[in-house]
Amino acid sequence: MPAPSNTALLQGTLDVLILKVLALEPMHGLGISRRIAQVTGDAFRVKAGSLFPALHRMEEAGWLESSWGESENNRRAKYYQLTRAGRRQLKEEVDQWARIVAAMASALDIP
Amino acid sequence: MPLWRRLKTLWRNVAPKKAVDADLDAEIGSYRQMLEDEKIRAGADPLLARREALLELGGAEQVKEAVRDVRAGAGIETIGAEVRQSLRGLRRNPSLTILGAVMLALGMGSSIVVFSVFHAALLRPLPFRDSGRVVELWETRQDRGINQASFTEANFWDIRAQNHSFEEVAAYHYDEANLTGFGQAEKVTAISVSAGFFRTLGVSPVLGRDFSYEEDRGGWSNHVVIAGNRFWRNRLGADPNILGKSLRLNDRPYTVVGVLPRGEPWINDQLYVPFGYRANANRGSWEFAVIGRLARGVSADTARADLQRIAGVLAQSYPKDDKGIGFHLEPSSTWVASNNTRRALWVLLGAVGFLLLIACLNIANLLLARGTARQREIAVRMALGASRARLVRFVMMESLLLSGFGATLGLALAYGALRAIQVSEIRGIPRLEVAGVNPWVFGFAVLIAMLTGVLSGLAPALQAPASGIAASLREGERQTGSRGPGRLRAALVMGEVALSFLLLVGAGLLIRSFTQLMNANLGFRTENRLVFSVSMPDTYWRKGIGKQFLDRCFQRLSGVPDVLAAGAVSHRPVEGGDPGMGSDSSSGSGARRAPWAGWRVVSPGYFRAIGLPLLRGRFFDESDKPVWAERGQPVPPRRVVISERLAKLIFPNEDPVGKHALLWKGQGNLDAEVIGVVGDSRERGPASDPTLTVYLPYGPNALPTEFVLHTRGNPLAVAPTVRSMVASLDPNLPVADVRSFEEVVHRSVAPQRFNAILLGVFSGLALLLATTGIYGVLSYSMSRRTSEIGLRVALGASAGSIMRMTIGQGMRPALIGIVLGGVGAWWLSRYVATLLFGVKPFDIATYAAVAALLLATALAACYLPGRRAMRTDAAVALRIE
Repeated sequence: MPAPSNTALLQGTLDVLILKVLALEPMHGLGISRRIAQVTGDAFRVKAGSLFPALHRMEEAGWLESSWGESENNRRAKYYQLTRAGRRQLKEEVDQWARIVAAMASALDIP
Repeated sequence: MPLWRRLKTLWRNVAPKKAVDADLDAEIGSYRQMLEDEKIRAGADPLLARREALLELGGAEQVKEAVRDVRAGAGIETIGAEVRQSLRGLRRNPSLTILGAVMLALGMGSSIVVFSVFHAALLRPLPFRDSGRVVELWETRQDRGINQASFTEANFWDIRAQNHSFEEVAAYHYDEANLTGFGQAEKVTAISVSAGFFRTLGVSPVLGRDFSYEEDRGGWSNHVVIAGNRFWRNRLGADPNILGKSLRLNDRPYTVVGVLPRGEPWINDQLYVPFGYRANANRGSWEFAVIGRLARGVSADTARADLQRIAGVLAQSYPKDDKGIGFHLEPSSTWVASNNTRRALWVLLGAVGFLLLIACLNIANLLLARGTARQREIAVRMALGASRARLVRFVMMESLLLSGFGATLGLALAYGALRAIQVSEIRGIPRLEVAGVNPWVFGFAVLIAMLTGVLSGLAPALQAPASGIAASLREGERQTGSRGPGRLRAALVMGEVALSFLLLVGAGLLIRSFTQLMNANLGFRTENRLVFSVSMPDTYWRKGIGKQFLDRCFQRLSGVPDVLAAGAVSHRPVEGGDPGMGSDSSSGSGARRAPWAGWRVVSPGYFRAIGLPLLRGRFFDESDKPVWAERGQPVPPRRVVISERLAKLIFPNEDPVGKHALLWKGQGNLDAEVIGVVGDSRERGPASDPTLTVYLPYGPNALPTEFVLHTRGNPLAVAPTVRSMVASLDPNLPVADVRSFEEVVHRSVAPQRFNAILLGVFSGLALLLATTGIYGVLSYSMSRRTSEIGLRVALGASAGSIMRMTIGQGMRPALIGIVLGGVGAWWLSRYVATLLFGVKPFDIATYAAVAALLLATALAACYLPGRRAMRTDAAVALRIE
């Protein structure tokens, strides 16, 4: 079992990660958590205590929709998928991140 | 997010709660299941996998709680749940709930009563358009020490013509007139006003028209009248066709041209007639009250400067009358409540504030005690994932609910108390009759309910989650009170005692000064005296008709067996006006300023009727004539009787009888012989110093209209006899204001009585609350210490030493509170100084009595818990552990 990473989730990071991960395909909670760990190279390990509140908040904001379905291992699971508003939100947040990254990189002299 | 969607999710979250929660349950359950599957696939032992999955999930309940917290409508839902929960908690503990609500209701009820009186008297605006611009004007003569005098007629017209800062200036003068032709003859108030009077106030008639400026120019012959609203309703039968009809005032016809809207009592129950401009207006006699409406954008200071400029012009143009003239300007807000009334109402408001604070401290104490007992419950909630903020809110909710109950109960109490006050006709507080529970007062009640809720919940709420969960779970059952909360509770008791001390001292001082007031030596006698007034029309001042009438009255009254003495005076003591003049001995040096003395025209029998003792010389008899010569007659030898203090002032170390005095010094300079000296009297009522008075003999051109009878037994029993006697002499003469003299004095101290009663009640409540506070804290802490005391008893502590310990513990905060209260009262008492009469703000006797009272109550509150502790059975007590 890899040592839990200490990288604290930057404020607002979780939302954009969830949106990004869900942009490919609908997923259930555990799937989202595992995919985030995978795409960030295990830098972020999202716990249930942060994941579910975020999912429910985003669903209420209208970015996600949920429905019950079968998992790959024949378990009933709740699947989340992006709405049109969610895709718009993803684009906005990615743009914003790009700006922040560029600004931070130039400020910190990272090539 | 579109609105409908937001509403939908809100609805889904709040309404079918079960379904949503079940969904969340299933979701988290499936998450855990898949986590477990994953571990098993990775090769973990199925049993271990389950455990690891649970660990990784981090507590299903906490996760759910976190999700619930972010949901839309989470606020409503949790608050609803908290309210239900708190209500349940309060229901489980009915004694605490009822006790708390009653205490708060007493505090809040008192606050609401005082606030509604305060609101009616000080906050409600006058019923005039833009009332902030309405001011009252006075003349001054600072060189003679006169800083507030009425206007002379001529000076008023000059101010009106020459000012640049007023939209309108108007003068008025109270007059009385006999209204005849409407059933029984009645004396009514007919105020002479200049034409701009109602425009100055900003009042327009609801029927008919205002006086026109031409009517000001018409001299005295213009007989038109405007009726106040209540006058129109009560005496003119609310006749909608009254305009153009004619009233007979003093036997002259007046045409009604207008009716005023409803308003303050003083523009409601009277008639108004124009007084008209006279080119030869008098500049020497101060008779007119003057009001002004500041022009838009002009400040009071600008107006003062403008008036000062005119004063300079007047002083130069008319050095004889207007030397040293100045003007004084006051906002109209003082019309409703005098400065002393204002001060008194502020003091009362402060007092109920303290009372409410005491109630808060008591509630805080109760909740604290319960909070300690409930630490386990709270620890369990924390373990289940309740956030600290939620716990604070949960504890707060309880005190808020309690104060909500208290406020509701308090509103009902206040409503009843206000009605009782109004029915009992406690006078002396302006607009008391309109004080009630209006939206403002209701808003105030809501405000103080929230304030007390937060205030009394603060200490328990902050204490609740302070100690660690594990410690609380373990410590929950321990039987000794921990020191921290104990000390906090003692501090609260200390505060209660200190605040009670303040209230009790305030009440003590006011009650003492009220008794002093009632025992003040008035100089005249009040028991078995009847007073009434008979107003005489102008015709009575001609050809001696009035004097004949008076003499006939006295003659008839002397035949009534229950009347021991009868007399009449021009101005009723205590209630009547107090006209004055500069008076000196005629040989007095001009250097000294002449003393200001009141003058009264009296019949010879007046002194005996009112019980003023003759100290030197003689009373008047029929040979003494008025000091004013009748038209076409030679000046009679002028004779006067003076009061003792005046005699000592202007004839020091001499026998005043036979000496000559100078009356109206600087105005008319009448020389008169002093024929007698009578005792001093408090003409302006018990709260004022004895007055300097000059008594003048009555006559055909000096008619006293206020009768005073000394009766055998109840004075009011003679009233019917008096009425029929006057009616038999002249059926057109109204008899008015028939009262016993005791009632006259009683009425004059109504404000003081009101303050003393209210403050007395409040301080009694404060004492009650403080006593329950001390008792509650002590008996609670003693019950927590049962096992400790049992141990002490087992080790040989005597009953006496246990009692001493209890009392020591209870009395310490009380004693400190008394000391703090004493210092606070000493500091605050300066604010009541102006309300006191014959008592110093730092009155040792009052302070000592209050301290003794509080000590005794505190001891009594300690005694019961002490006795219980004393009887602790060691075996039983130790077994509890």
